[in-house]
Amino acid sequence: MMPQPTGYLCLVLHCHLPYVRHPEHERFLEENWLYEAITETYIPLLRVMNGLVRDGADFRLTATLSPPLISMLRDPLLISRYERHINRLIELASKEVHRTAHQPEFHCLATMYLERFLKTRHAFTQEYGRDLVGAFGRLQDMGKLEIITCGATHGFLPLLSAGPSAVRTQLRTAVAHYEETFGRPPHGIWLPECGYYPGLDEILRDVGLQFFFTESHGLLYADPRPRYGVHAPVFCPTGVAAFGRDFESSKQVWSAEEGYPGDPVYRDYYRDIGWDLDYDYMRFYIQPDGKRGNTGIKYFRITGKTDQKEVYNRELAMALAADHAGNFMFNRERQVEWLSPGMDRPPIIVAPYDAELFGHWWFEGPEWLDFLFRKLHYDQNSVKPVTPAEYLERHDINQVCTPCGSSWGHKGYHEVWLNGGNDWIYRHLHHAAQRMEELTGRFPRADGLTQRALAQAGRELLLAQSSDWAFIMKTGTMVEYAVKRTKDHIARFTSLYEQLLANRLDTAWLKDIEEKDNIFPNLNYRNFS
Amino acid sequence: MTSHLPDHYGRTELVLMMVDPFHLFAYWEVTPENLRQVQDVLGAEMDGARAVLRLYDISLIHFDGTNAHFIFDIDISLEARNWYVPVWTAEKSYCADLGFVARTGRFHAIARSNVVHTPRAGVSGRTEGPWMRVRFVRRRKPDPGRPLELVPVPDIPGRLSPEELRALLERRAREEARLAAQFRQGTLPTSLMQGPR
Repeated sequence: MMPQPTGYLCLVLHCHLPYVRHPEHERFLEENWLYEAITETYIPLLRVMNGLVRDGADFRLTATLSPPLISMLRDPLLISRYERHINRLIELASKEVHRTAHQPEFHCLATMYLERFLKTRHAFTQEYGRDLVGAFGRLQDMGKLEIITCGATHGFLPLLSAGPSAVRTQLRTAVAHYEETFGRPPHGIWLPECGYYPGLDEILRDVGLQFFFTESHGLLYADPRPRYGVHAPVFCPTGVAAFGRDFESSKQVWSAEEGYPGDPVYRDYYRDIGWDLDYDYMRFYIQPDGKRGNTGIKYFRITGKTDQKEVYNRELAMALAADHAGNFMFNRERQVEWLSPGMDRPPIIVAPYDAELFGHWWFEGPEWLDFLFRKLHYDQNSVKPVTPAEYLERHDINQVCTPCGSSWGHKGYHEVWLNGGNDWIYRHLHHAAQRMEELTGRFPRADGLTQRALAQAGRELLLAQSSDWAFIMKTGTMVEYAVKRTKDHIARFTSLYEQLLANRLDTAWLKDIEEKDNIFPNLNYRNFS
Repeated sequence: MTSHLPDHYGRTELVLMMVDPFHLFAYWEVTPENLRQVQDVLGAEMDGARAVLRLYDISLIHFDGTNAHFIFDIDISLEARNWYVPVWTAEKSYCADLGFVARTGRFHAIARSNVVHTPRAGVSGRTEGPWMRVRFVRRRKPDPGRPLELVPVPDIPGRLSPEELRALLERRAREEARLAAQFRQGTLPTSLMQGPR
């Protein structure tokens, strides 16, 4: 039995991307979200974790793998397209090594990128056998990583709760998909956008989930007021545990002003050779439509609020990432020392982040995580990394509170997903969910073609419900794509609904959309009742 | 090519949604038949009648249509088909009617909404409550019907007197609530789906 630490650190990485897959196009811009995240975030994180295992540095990490992300990472078309993508990057980096031969500071960076991309391709095809989900799963089997689930398509549950079935179906489908993937049920869930409303925990309990996370005020404004604030979980009246986000640790990593990632020494995200170099030289490597865009090769450091950027220095950036990891650990040690008097158990610091912050936005993020876990293992005994499952096994007595409705979006409630830019979607999302319920009532035991059409209607409904579309409409970039996806899925759903009621299915068209929107091949349409 | 969405669903309805503790959102549809019925009922009174959303504060009651704590009307344009409604107090339950107020003051409802609950916008005044033991179950689903075991409120170990302890916890709760209020000004990070700022 390990001695009890002064406090626990529960790091949570939320890995999610919306389901984007367009077989009808040879190259499709928005598919790059996945390819960039594989290269810059998922493979670097796997390499960090496997390195820690290899070196015997014990660690604990909790990570969401959302059902759309799992589905994309296992899709043969997207896997082959990712290989094409990384091959193209390797080709570009090789050209860059050649082009910068007489500019030593750039040449060493071009060489760094070339080596990284070669390693990434090797990891993807050889070490992980083109199956990143399996690679994450093995770390879970070792007890180092806890993989939690999410809404089936990351639907923002509070705004889907107007009818009875939509939230239930998002959760049932997610849990069933997790079981298919990992051969066991998930212990917990990352609620999409941390969106919680009182009563949601009843559905979580019914589908077998034992814990979730809320934004800080979800717990601090809970009723009754939790004795330990966000530094211990509470049980909802249903017995499902709620963990609250710690703001101190979040802010240090996340804040654009005060956070680590904004340090002038770190790599600048926005200065990319896709924008800087000669158009004819770049044309093949930027966007499919010939517009300029990011490639992932970036030579400058943040420097400061100036356009005169200085060249990136990898050694300095690594030294700083190590310093920042030490600083984060020091602050957590002081934090748990401050918190533990007056508590009947060690406090838990819950620090959740969007996974894509690490590596994609904050280039040095994965290395920071690596340094942090090594320091936590070798340099101190007071803060111990923990998963929510381990914590709840050790501390099974908790206060009973009802968390407050909340999200982690701007202003803390629903405004990001319900505002003048996206409010038009809800009428259609709610009606489609009601119509799907109606269909399950009308066709309780369908088979053959009818069953296929019902399942496809379910897929279209789920895909329309992704919170990502409303989020993109709010943030103002790629809006056209988000609008089109919402409309396409609702329109496909509506056609299927009408065809089913009229008993006139268009089989050729059904086959076409089954191939396009192929998420959840084993979807049970009866789950929509 | 972008797909075409249904323009209407052929059903009179009013749906209320919560934006935050101080804002609601309503959307509605009124079928031409239902609109004609209202016009028939109101007859001459329809002349100069205002379309309104009538909001009812029905917190902690079983609403029978007459016992709301508080009622207020928001003038709307029926054709707008949706509206944002500011409210003044957090932690309430609301439902609404869509209808017309005639110049005589007579109200005629076309549709009644669902009920929405607005969340708390600050710390709860209640500090006392039960504690529970829940056994965590690994690698399988717990039985949703399993009994939940209430336990005595645990003591806090240490050398603090009850007064010192209460003061410590109060101070922490206030500090945390202050930070949380600051923090929820927005922490959602830039997403991968966003292009360069």
